[in-house]
Formats: sequence, C-alpha cells, structure tokens
Amino acid sequence: MANRTIPRLLQTPAVLLLLVWMLVPLGMTLFFSFIRYVLNNLRRPEWTTPSIENWRGFGNYKFVWNQDGFWFAIQNSLLIVCSILFLTVILGVLIAVLVNRSFPGRGIVRVLLISPFFVMPAVNAVLWINMILDPVLGLQGLAVGGINEVIAGLRNAPLVGGFFSLWPEFNPVSFRATQTSAYAVIMMVTWQWTPFAVLIFMTSLQSEDQQQKEAAILDGAGRWSQFRFLTLPHLARPIAIVVMIQAIFHLSLYAEIEIVSRGNGNKNLPYLIGELANNNIGAASATGIFAVILANIVAIFLLRMVGKTLME
Amino acid sequence: MAIVAETSKFSKFAWPILAWGVALIFFFPIFWMVLTSFKTDADAVKPEFLLLFTPTLENYANMTDNYDYWRFATNSVITSVSATLLTLIVGVPCAYAMAFDPSRGTKDILMWMLSTKMLPAAAVLYPMIFLAKGLGIYDTHFLVIMVLCLINLPIVIWMLFTYFKDIPKDIIEAGKMDGLNTWGEVREILIPLAWGGIASTALLAFIFCWNEAYWTVRLTTIDAATLSKLIEGNRAPEGLFFGRLSAVSTAAVGPIVVLGWFCQKQLVQGLTFGAVK
Repeated sequence: MANRTIPRLLQTPAVLLLLVWMLVPLGMTLFFSFIRYVLNNLRRPEWTTPSIENWRGFGNYKFVWNQDGFWFAIQNSLLIVCSILFLTVILGVLIAVLVNRSFPGRGIVRVLLISPFFVMPAVNAVLWINMILDPVLGLQGLAVGGINEVIAGLRNAPLVGGFFSLWPEFNPVSFRATQTSAYAVIMMVTWQWTPFAVLIFMTSLQSEDQQQKEAAILDGAGRWSQFRFLTLPHLARPIAIVVMIQAIFHLSLYAEIEIVSRGNGNKNLPYLIGELANNNIGAASATGIFAVILANIVAIFLLRMVGKTLME
Repeated sequence: MAIVAETSKFSKFAWPILAWGVALIFFFPIFWMVLTSFKTDADAVKPEFLLLFTPTLENYANMTDNYDYWRFATNSVITSVSATLLTLIVGVPCAYAMAFDPSRGTKDILMWMLSTKMLPAAAVLYPMIFLAKGLGIYDTHFLVIMVLCLINLPIVIWMLFTYFKDIPKDIIEAGKMDGLNTWGEVREILIPLAWGGIASTALLAFIFCWNEAYWTVRLTTIDAATLSKLIEGNRAPEGLFFGRLSAVSTAAVGPIVVLGWFCQKQLVQGLTFGAVK
C-alpha cells in the first residue's frame, strides 16, 4: 500500500480521456433533448441557438415517441441485429466444425475464410450492392439474364421443350427497394462477420477435450450426439461472446445502410438520428437518448451473460 | 467401430471439398472485385467478358485522376497511424498499472471502459459536430485522430491487459529489487516481454482505424477525408464505373486484408478479451 500514486497516475490519462469522451457529448445530448433546438427556422430564429430559455421538457421525447418512423427504426434495428446474429452463429458453428478437421490446404482455406472480415464496411457495401446485387449490371442481373436465356433456348428443344415453356421468365430483385434493402444489409454484414464467428469458434474447438470425444466414440456415440452433447456445450461461452461483440457493433450500423439505399425503407436508429440531426437537433437528441437506453438494455442483458466469464 | 471407419473414408474426400467450397464462396466477392478492377469500365458489365477479357491496368493508373486516391489514402495513413500510436501511448501505461498493480477498483474500471464502447455513436453525433465546429477543428486530422483513439482505447487497454496479465509478476519484482524505477520496469522488462502482444494490439487497432466508417464520414468533408469517405461518396456508380471503382476499392482494402492474415490469432484474443484461447 506504500505506493499507490504511480499506478493511479499511469491510469489517469486513459480514464480521464474516456470520462470526458463519455460525459461531455452525452451531457450535451441530454441538454439538447430537453430544449427546442433547430438549425433552420425562419419564423422562430430564437430556436436556432441552444439556450435554456427554449426549454421544452419532455416535448421532444413525446414528439419522437409518437412518430411512426421511430418505432419502425427500432423494429428495423432489432430485425437487422437479430438476423445477423442468428445467421452468423449458425453459419459460424457449422463452418468452424467443418474446418476444424485437418485436410489438404487447410491453411489456405482459413486465410480465404477470414478475409471478408478485414474489408472496410464502405467497400463491402459498395461491392455488394453494385457489383453483386445490382439487378441489371451486377452478377445477379447477369446470372438471371443467363438463366432466362438458357430457358428460352430449351423451349425450342425437342422433348423437354414443353416442360420449359411452362416456366416464367425470372425477374432480378432490386435490393435498393423499400422492401428489400434490409435484406441486402443483412446479407453483406453476415458475409463480413461470419468469418469472425468462425475464427473464434475454431480457436475454441482446438481446446476441446479429445479424450472425452474418444470415450464417447467408444461408447458408440454418433456424430450428431458428439456434436450435440460435447461440441455445442463447449462452444456456449464463445457463442455468448460472439453475440455480445456483434450486438455492440451492429446496433450502430451506419455505412452499409447509407450506401445501400440512403435509408430508404431501411432506417435503423443511428440512421434516423443522423437524418434528424440535419435540422431538428432537439428530436435527434431525444432519439439519441432512446438509443442509449436501448443499448443499455442490451448491454445489461449481455454483460450478465458473459461479464463473469471475462474476469475469470 | 465399423461405422466410424466408414464415415471417415467418405469424409476423407467430402470434407475437404466441402470446406474448400465454402471458403471459395466466402472469398468470391473479394476475388470478383479484384478481377473487375482489371477490366475496363465498358467490359466490366458485359456478360461475354465475365471471366475472359483483356486485362488492363488503366484503372489503377488513372486512380489519381478519377478519384484523387492518394490524397484520401494519405489521410487514412496519417490518421490511422497517429491514432494507433496515441492509443498505445495512453493505453500501455494504463494496462500496465492495471495488470501489475491492481487495486480493488480495477475490475470495475475495466468493465466501465468496455461499457463506453456500448454508447451508440449516433447518440452523440450532433454534440461532436457542434464541439468540433465550435473549436474550429471540424474536418482536421487532429479531430479524426482523437476520435479514432477514443473509440479504440477500451479495446486496446483490454487487449494489453490480457497480455500483461500473463507475464509473471516475479519478474517485475526482481526488477524492483535491482533498483529499477517504474519507467525502467516498462522499458527493460515489460516491453521486451510483451513486444508481440503490443505489436499485434497495434496492428488490430490500426485495422480498426483504417476501416472506421461512422465518424470519419460524418466529421470530415475534404481536408481530412479518409478512404471510407471516398468510397462512401461513390456509392452508386450506376454501372458506369465498375472497373475504376473496383480498382480504388481493391487499393483501399488490399493492404489491410493482407495485414489481417498475419494477425488472425491475436484477433481472437483481442476481440474476446482473452476469454477464448
């Protein structure tokens, strides 16, 4: 106990920086959320500067709460996050088990598999929405066009022609449209984050108890029951961690949504806030506070799940 | 036992094929982007040139004219490298103190730091713009470096903490006996022993900085705009510029993907806070 000053001193800059980073902007958001504050308003110019005199109480919160867009954004945020979590965990476990065996070229397979994780989100989105999913010029368009051509050719073929003439022409799907843009985002983020899940599950599988497995085989346990009763319980903790980390990242998804459809039919909370912040700062701040509350609910839930295991 | 033997004979061929198939599917979009970058803009959208085409380097040669690539790339390098260094300068002493001189509050501080990562960036978007414009640092390298440093600091401290924790305390004690002061301990013992951990933490922080796409897009316009901003600004080429856009995208992610290959293991340790080994 003689010398606690030096360790404290060493921690101070980091703690101070994070404290300021957390408290100052958040405090401002809290303040803005209780006042009338807009960037442009010709009739009420006094609202364009933040001041305690424009106090609005919970007015901004009520305004946001009663907007359909707000509820849609929450619903959409949860839809996107939950779908991605579901897909990445399932795919991650399957692929990790697949790659955990030794086979020729395993090192290269691992390198190929992990690559998508390092692609910057902006490139990921631009690549998928243009070069792959574009209904006319992307691979989707080319593939659909090709299939249609093949079917058209087969219509004139003897014997099978009758069968193929019953087939309709395929139509490519536009992933920039209102109904589908969320699926494009889910697809591209799943592509990017499945490798992350694979990597973590693979690392964890390597510490699986092999003796236990051999014993199970001797007892006549099949592949499925080995997986179900040994591998899956072993993966419980890594799955919890993957869920937590991804929830943190995907609740604030932004670039992908912006690039796919500029939020058309696909706004999540961060996007809605960004849009409101173009003019109505009061409402944007109130939405921001709602986003903080949502993130906290998720965080408490997740930290309960994994917090203890982190500290051993 | 017979059943086991039979399945392994089957799986001897099926597993590698399946595994390679899955890996190729996952890598395909990247392969496609690189391939498209060697096509002219006109060829890029023609089905007849899907795989067979005359490769050209013109997209790479014209990157500066088309997109002013190097300007954005320079900004990305400046901000990512500086932010990484700054994060380490602040993070290493902190993680060192926490690992070797933990107090009762250390665990709570670590959890609190992690919780700052859960604060949604969007919630503080406008205050950040307001402050940046008020202080006259909007669209400057300084602002981007500070923000990148702050958003990566919790993860960096966690990563370093898990590395430092594994170093036996006796070594540090021995150093103290030899009369080393704190700085001496860090320089003579900690850094040589934890060099690998620090290096991979730096690598990962650099990758995160490079790929960041929320703050770098919202807090810059042109002077400090990074590659994320450049790509985001060209989001909808409507098929006209697939070739050149692929080239600039490849140039933006290529180095990072290769760097990433080398720090897979550290990535697992770092991102799971040492909970998965």
